[in-house]
Amino acid sequence: MTKKAEHAIEVENLTKRYGDLLAVNDLSFNVRQGEIFALLGPNGAGKTTTVEIIDTIRMPTSGKVNLFGMDVTKSKHEIVPRIGVLPQGFSSFDRITVKETIQYYSRLFSCGNTDIDGLIELVNLKDKTREQYKNLSGGLKQRLGIAIALVNDPEVLFLDEPTTGLDPRARREVWDLMLGLKEKGKTVFLTTHYMEEAEFLADTVAIISRGKIIAMGSPEALIESNAKYLVLTLRSVDEKAFDIVRKMGFESVHDNHKDIRVRVEQMDDVQKILNTIQEGRASLLSLDVRKPNLEDVFLKLTGETLHKEPAGGVAQ
Amino acid sequence: MNPRVVGANLVVSLKSFYRAKPAMFFTIAFPILLILVFGALFMNQDNMSFDLCVQDLDHTDSSSQLVKTLELEGKFKVIRIEPSVNAAQYTRDNKSSLVLTIPKGYEGAFLQRMALNDPDTSVTLTYLYDLSSSLVFMKIHILNWVFSGINQKMTGVPPFIRSAETSMLARKYRFVEFFVPGIIAMSVMILSLFGTVHLNTELRQKGVIRKLSTTPITRTDWILSNILYQFILAVLSTTAMLLVSYAAFSVSLQINAWLPVFMLLDVFAFVGIGMIITHFTKEAESAAAAANAISFPMMFLSGSFFPLEMMPGFMQTVARILPLYYVNEGLRASMIFGDHMAALRHSAVIGVFAAVVFILGIIATQWEEDQ
Ligand SMILES: Nc1ncnc2c1ncn2[C@@H]1O[C@H](COP(=O)(O)OP(=O)(O)O)[C@@H](O)[C@H]1O
Ligand SMILES: [Mg+2]
Repeated sequence: MTKKAEHAIEVENLTKRYGDLLAVNDLSFNVRQGEIFALLGPNGAGKTTTVEIIDTIRMPTSGKVNLFGMDVTKSKHEIVPRIGVLPQGFSSFDRITVKETIQYYSRLFSCGNTDIDGLIELVNLKDKTREQYKNLSGGLKQRLGIAIALVNDPEVLFLDEPTTGLDPRARREVWDLMLGLKEKGKTVFLTTHYMEEAEFLADTVAIISRGKIIAMGSPEALIESNAKYLVLTLRSVDEKAFDIVRKMGFESVHDNHKDIRVRVEQMDDVQKILNTIQEGRASLLSLDVRKPNLEDVFLKLTGETLHKEPAGGVAQ
Repeated sequence: MNPRVVGANLVVSLKSFYRAKPAMFFTIAFPILLILVFGALFMNQDNMSFDLCVQDLDHTDSSSQLVKTLELEGKFKVIRIEPSVNAAQYTRDNKSSLVLTIPKGYEGAFLQRMALNDPDTSVTLTYLYDLSSSLVFMKIHILNWVFSGINQKMTGVPPFIRSAETSMLARKYRFVEFFVPGIIAMSVMILSLFGTVHLNTELRQKGVIRKLSTTPITRTDWILSNILYQFILAVLSTTAMLLVSYAAFSVSLQINAWLPVFMLLDVFAFVGIGMIITHFTKEAESAAAAANAISFPMMFLSGSFFPLEMMPGFMQTVARILPLYYVNEGLRASMIFGDHMAALRHSAVIGVFAAVVFILGIIATQWEEDQ
């Protein structure tokens, strides 16, 4: 028997090279049992590579990964029945229906006792059971993928970008699904490049950039320790307004030609900025003050925004 | 192997097949079309005649009379070999399957027998033959039949026991009959090879294989499922081909246990090759190109469409290294000539090949994205 590990996942000095490319660079972290752990980072950061090494799809170049206390490179046979995986860009057999697909995967796991109707209900696909895979919308496909990942009642779930490409409503449904799974005591390992997703769902967030984890902790702690300021967003079509703000010496970035984001220490600063703009007779369309979020943390740590697509297209 | 897993895969494959009407049409219609087109092309071809190499060392009127009798009675196309030629060397060089040698002194013995009625004089004709040709037994049969006819005529007494072979040999072999087993072997190859390559490259590209690698399914389960699926398709298309052959050309073929055996070995071999191709190609297009590069020469060089004897010697040598050749010859041996020994020999060769390719296929099928 395997020893009972307090951590569901233990990663030590994990490195993966593709030829000359260092995709994952010396990662170390643990995932506690029963938590939602989010690997947050932009495209090409190394999320898929990391998660696929942990869920036994790929082999590491070096380092050690333990799942349930077992080495993933040596105990694939013992590990596979205990995990559920939704690979990035999940896809299935085009002409097989929702119910048949779930039945198929349940047979692969030799789970005679899978509650297939219960799973269909859980992912809210009840009126689509006889629909063929190719006729499902993106959101339904992802939900089917999650149902399949659950056929063997796994202890740990790996969801690689489960909401990418979904509309806000479909995304919200997947979020609720994940929270429900956590309530059932499952450990969820999630990758995403949506800051709100990580912030809303995760107990622990690891921010990854260029193959390195640059910050890790609960969303609140990450924000608290990295972003002790307020974010003021000003919208204007008047360049003069932006000039005024820049001259005042506040740290600021242009989100686009109409918006400028300014970092302020306290509400007094907001007042000061507004007054100065008014004195300079510049016009404003709107303003918004909010607490910082993970996006701001990422920006502060890397100087890049999360949604910037790297050159060379979208990586797998 | 886990039968549950193989069964689950089979159900998914068959359902997908049934729901994809174009694929279904292709699988059944393509072989039928081949049979119809080529069958119609060859339908009016004469009955099959066999080549027979004869070396007449006697060179007398009597011996040429004998050769003429063989030509007429046995319906042979006689190729005469000069007496100076070494018959064994000739067989090897020209890939002729059988050389009949009439010895010197044939006429002398013949006259002695006829004139003096001396029962002790006889003459021995030599067959020099190459066992690996499926036609050789046929030729020997015909020769023996012609000779026994001559012997009987010379004794002047009507035979008491008439050999059953007589009636079998009276049967006419038509080119279409020769052609059908070749088309079966070839269609099964094409369907297995392209079906496997297409299915596996598509599933890999869509990421389904990646998902499967996180389930307990093994590579052996996966390949066996592929083989079983392709075998079912092979049974389907072969049945269609046979029905059409019977209906359109009233062929007369022997359907026995060798047919499924050779179909299965054919499927094993080419699903295995398909797996290996899938492994060594990155894109679906290059995989299809590789499958083409393997199957096209095989189709034309292994004697699917015409008897190998009609091809030049070096091409016959090439044919013998092609796996499909052994399926062709094995199927012909069993379906046309009822020659079980020859079928057994050919099945052994293709069987060994299929086993090797199957194991290589398992090794080549990798679930992991990279090593
Ligand atoms: N199989 C592969 N071969 C070569 N390079 C790869 C492979 N998979 C990913 N990469 C590269 O590794 C880097 C990290 O990719 P990935 O792990 O997919 O990032 P993410 O999932 O965060 O978008 C990218 O630069 C990508 O191009
Ligand atoms: Mg990814």
